[in-house]
Amino acid sequence: MTQGSQLWAGLHCPDLPLKAVWQLSSIGGPLAVHDSIRGQARLLQVNAVAQQNGARPGQSLGQALAVLPQLQSRPRCRLAESRMLEQMALLAYQHSHQVSLAPPDTVLLEVGGSRRLRGGLEPLLDALRDEALSSGLQLRMGLAPAASAACLLARHGLRVRDAAAMQRTIGQLAIDHLMLKPNQQKAASDCGLHRVSELTALPRAERARRFGADMNRHLDELHGELSTPLAQWQPSEVFELRLELPVPTVRSDALMFVFNRALDTLGRWLEVRDQGLNQLNVRLEREDGGSGSTFDIGLARPGFDLDRLLELIQLKLDGIKLAGDIDAIKLNADSTAERRPAQSDLLDGTNRSDAWPALLDRLGARLGESGLSGLAPTSDHRPENAWTWVPPGTSSPCRDLRPRPSWLLPAPRPCRREHLVLEDGPERIESGWWDGQDCLRDYWIARDRKGRQLWVFQEHQPRHGWFVHGLFG
Amino acid sequence: MHSPQPSSSLNELLSQRTDLWRGRRRPQARALSSGRADLDRWLPDQGWPSGRLIELMPTCLGLGELGLLLPVMAEQTRAARPVMLIAPPWIPCPQRLARAGVALDQLVVVRDIHHAFWAAEQGLKSGLCGLVMLWPPKGRVSERSVRRLQLAAEKGPAPAFVCYRPDQSAPPSLAALRLSIHPGPTLQVLRGGACHNDRFHLGHSNVIAWPGTRRAFRSAATATSDDSAASVARR
Repeated sequence: MTQGSQLWAGLHCPDLPLKAVWQLSSIGGPLAVHDSIRGQARLLQVNAVAQQNGARPGQSLGQALAVLPQLQSRPRCRLAESRMLEQMALLAYQHSHQVSLAPPDTVLLEVGGSRRLRGGLEPLLDALRDEALSSGLQLRMGLAPAASAACLLARHGLRVRDAAAMQRTIGQLAIDHLMLKPNQQKAASDCGLHRVSELTALPRAERARRFGADMNRHLDELHGELSTPLAQWQPSEVFELRLELPVPTVRSDALMFVFNRALDTLGRWLEVRDQGLNQLNVRLEREDGGSGSTFDIGLARPGFDLDRLLELIQLKLDGIKLAGDIDAIKLNADSTAERRPAQSDLLDGTNRSDAWPALLDRLGARLGESGLSGLAPTSDHRPENAWTWVPPGTSSPCRDLRPRPSWLLPAPRPCRREHLVLEDGPERIESGWWDGQDCLRDYWIARDRKGRQLWVFQEHQPRHGWFVHGLFG
Repeated sequence: MHSPQPSSSLNELLSQRTDLWRGRRRPQARALSSGRADLDRWLPDQGWPSGRLIELMPTCLGLGELGLLLPVMAEQTRAARPVMLIAPPWIPCPQRLARAGVALDQLVVVRDIHHAFWAAEQGLKSGLCGLVMLWPPKGRVSERSVRRLQLAAEKGPAPAFVCYRPDQSAPPSLAALRLSIHPGPTLQVLRGGACHNDRFHLGHSNVIAWPGTRRAFRSAATATSDDSAASVARR
């Protein structure tokens, strides 16, 4: 693709530091984020409520608290910001294969190649904005033929589509907006320059002498005369997401709200990677640092269905008792598989192939692994070792054609010979000498006094006596 | 009969309902073959009524209630319709099930007795199962939970079997069929059909003869027993 046909969109989140530390608490009281500037805690950003009540960015934290005692402020967290930027990149990756991060708060994506995807550029940008809003981010968008110009214009929400318009628009911006180094900034104001157009009007050699050689490169990139080296962003191989709750709670409806949002991001990640979920590991972190709860949600068939997953999580939450307030949830998708589209039954139209795994998932979520099983024969001569619980749906061939009762007791139970009438037998079973559990038994079909047919055996080794092992019922 | 003959239109209306018991033969519900021709002939609906509740009341557990259902379980699982056994009192023997033709990969055993009714309801409501059989956990069985099962059963084609313990009494319910199982094993219709007093002798269909020798112990009654031979013993 030539430089000329490219069109870059910049997604800029103006209040990323605030959003990153407060995440879901966008509703409610006055919130702020502060940073240490020259050894003093100063407000970096405040939300609308705090702004209305007199808190201003740049105020020292103490001063702001004096003005607004109910203000809640958290220290800036760059790690959380970069995680949030990753989420924005994921959003962008759904619409373009060429995505780059422009830290700290902007994501760039090439939209020239994907403009036909949604029937034009505007629908594409609208879709991006709506998706961002649903995950709680308010974005500013810029559009320009050059990546670094898109990054700059995104801060101002300006959109241009060709090089001439781009040059004009950038020219009208104030030099402060170029985010120059402090010494370059100072040099420019010392020269009495205010607008970018005044800066570009200077001869190249003159500019290089006054502001340094990198100033020319910066301007060339902005005007698309020099391409900006960009690192291609790729979605990570594993999914990990930690979301904090607005208010620590044990209420499951509040937890479900957060899960809903977290699964939204997970769904996006799965979609861009074209993967289906096999297993999801969920961790609930307690506010007081006590041991939280962990549970796994396994899907019988790789896929992603938001409603179904929410239902499974709800079932799990119902089943666990939370000892303390939960302040964060953490999701880990450690097992994924290639996504296969659901197939529906040709004849009756119901999607059995999907509905049955869904039912097993729902049952498994409440009953647990030990509560729901299939049965399989194993090859062992001792009847008590000749079967095992398996996950439902396991098919296992059975070649044992000896007569066996319908029911097996979990363990043989001693019984009295005189209560039994022997009807058929015996079948001798002599086995287990190789693993130290050798036995010598004669199995009989007998009838007890209640009229039931029992499967009993007389053991000769290692114990002596009569035992009931099953029922023909 | 001294009762006045109801008008034909009312009769027609009533006859459309399969859940009304009018003291005589009900209209036939859709039924699933029990897998044995003689048993089908004997059952009021000519088989196990689909999508209905069927209550089994053995005089003691292990009298033949699982053996009774093995043929229909085999048929359903072979047609890829899963069978759920919920809170069974003992372990169903996989060799025996496989020998009866049950596809074990379509069999689900719910072992969690605390959620037995819930699991049965989910299985029935999904409409995917071929058969659901529940052994209610020890203690009183509430009318409400059985009623819920009955409603769930109507959502799908699966017959829902509930097998009560001898010390449990079945709550009044709208079960389509209630059978008692006596030693023998012998079946008797307690509810849901014409009041015929016939008992059905199942025979020991689940006993498979020892290969080879040793038949000295077999009585005359069991000598002919295999999966098809059973006789209707009239009282």
